[in-house]
Amino acid sequence: MIYQMIIDDNNIGYIPSLGISFQLNDTAREIVELLKQNKSKDQIVEILSQKYNRDWREIFIDVTDFFEKLKIYGVIQ
Amino acid sequence: MIVAISGLNNRENPAPGIGVAKGLLTGEEPIKGEGIEREKIEREGIKRIGPNSTNHILIGLSYDPNEPGIYQHIFKKVYLMPYPSLGFKEFKARLEYIKRETGIEGIIPTLDAEMGLYLKYREELEKMGIKTLLPTLKQFEMRDKSQLPKFAEKLGVSHPETFKLFSVDELIKKVKELTFPVIVKGNYYKAYRANNLDEAIDHFYKISNEWGFPILLQEVVGGEEINFVGVAHRGQLLGGVGIKKLTTTDLGKIWTGVTIDNRSLLQLAHRFVEETNWNGPFELEVISAGATLYLIEINPRFPAWVHFATLVGINLPKMVVELMEGKSVIPQLDYPVGQLYVRYVEELVTPLHNFNRLISKKEL
Repeated sequence: MIYQMIIDDNNIGYIPSLGISFQLNDTAREIVELLKQNKSKDQIVEILSQKYNRDWREIFIDVTDFFEKLKIYGVIQ
Repeated sequence: MIVAISGLNNRENPAPGIGVAKGLLTGEEPIKGEGIEREKIEREGIKRIGPNSTNHILIGLSYDPNEPGIYQHIFKKVYLMPYPSLGFKEFKARLEYIKRETGIEGIIPTLDAEMGLYLKYREELEKMGIKTLLPTLKQFEMRDKSQLPKFAEKLGVSHPETFKLFSVDELIKKVKELTFPVIVKGNYYKAYRANNLDEAIDHFYKISNEWGFPILLQEVVGGEEINFVGVAHRGQLLGGVGIKKLTTTDLGKIWTGVTIDNRSLLQLAHRFVEETNWNGPFELEVISAGATLYLIEINPRFPAWVHFATLVGINLPKMVVELMEGKSVIPQLDYPVGQLYVRYVEELVTPLHNFNRLISKKEL
């Protein structure tokens, strides 16, 4: 489902096959876009921790939490 | 064509008739926009309905003088009909009278409760010079709620565990095989979610008192509910639109919705019409749970939101009339995705005399 998600200028992610929408913040948008580039969770954590100069453990917790939310909403398996 | 349409209720639980009528009375014109919006509109071919009416004359068939659609100045004449439960003799006599008075050439029935009569006596109607576009009784029965588990399997999709019930004892016994919440539904109308046995029993009585038996007890499956409205002719899907209901009323009726592009849903619609050799309008109610599609219901008629399809350029009622007229119809399955549908409330005033006349003379 994640590959279908279209994100507009307002950071609303839309799944055209199911008609459901999600409001994303800038970081969530970045993660979704990285997922669409087939990046793994570990790669996403590394990219974000380097970009924002934060400890990877802290980023790992946030990314894991976001992944869980995506699973709950059925966006990823 | 002079077409009669039933289902003129346009209240909180609307019937499909007004949506069907609006589709027949309106033509199409391109939406005018500016800049990027205009480019998008032109690229996606978005149309809106305009006042350039087609030549159809519409006759309303009503079961209740309180139905708002009667007074919306849509129908040239409106006739009160005998309830279908009175049988075909009464029904036929009334249609013969209406035929003599108005010269109706076709009927688009839209209510579940009357569908049985129209299907059973389709040939009689044909002899009277009244055309319909309906499935056969056999095709109709294949998609009956009580047959759906078997039929879903044939179509290669899943169906929530469902039990057919005729008594509260059966309900108490079968509910133990499922986990709460469950859905308690009538064979034709109404479906309620029950979170415990007391609620389930309450819904069982409420539905059976109003609509009779069997009552269906169904497991709740997680996922997104999506819908498809379509028209088929002799097993070929000629037109259709997939949607997701975004908000609904307390009765589960759509209030806002959006057009979707769901290939699995479209494939299911194709399989359904081919498997049944379907003729006429239909609606699929499906739950999409990951890669699994659960078929919840197949309605053998237009849904009340059929005008949504017209508004995005797929005029299914018009297609039905063209098929009844014997014209060939070009399949139309492309529509703009991500179009928002919004219902709203309108008011009108009409002389009370109209209401009184309808009650006393049975026509207006």
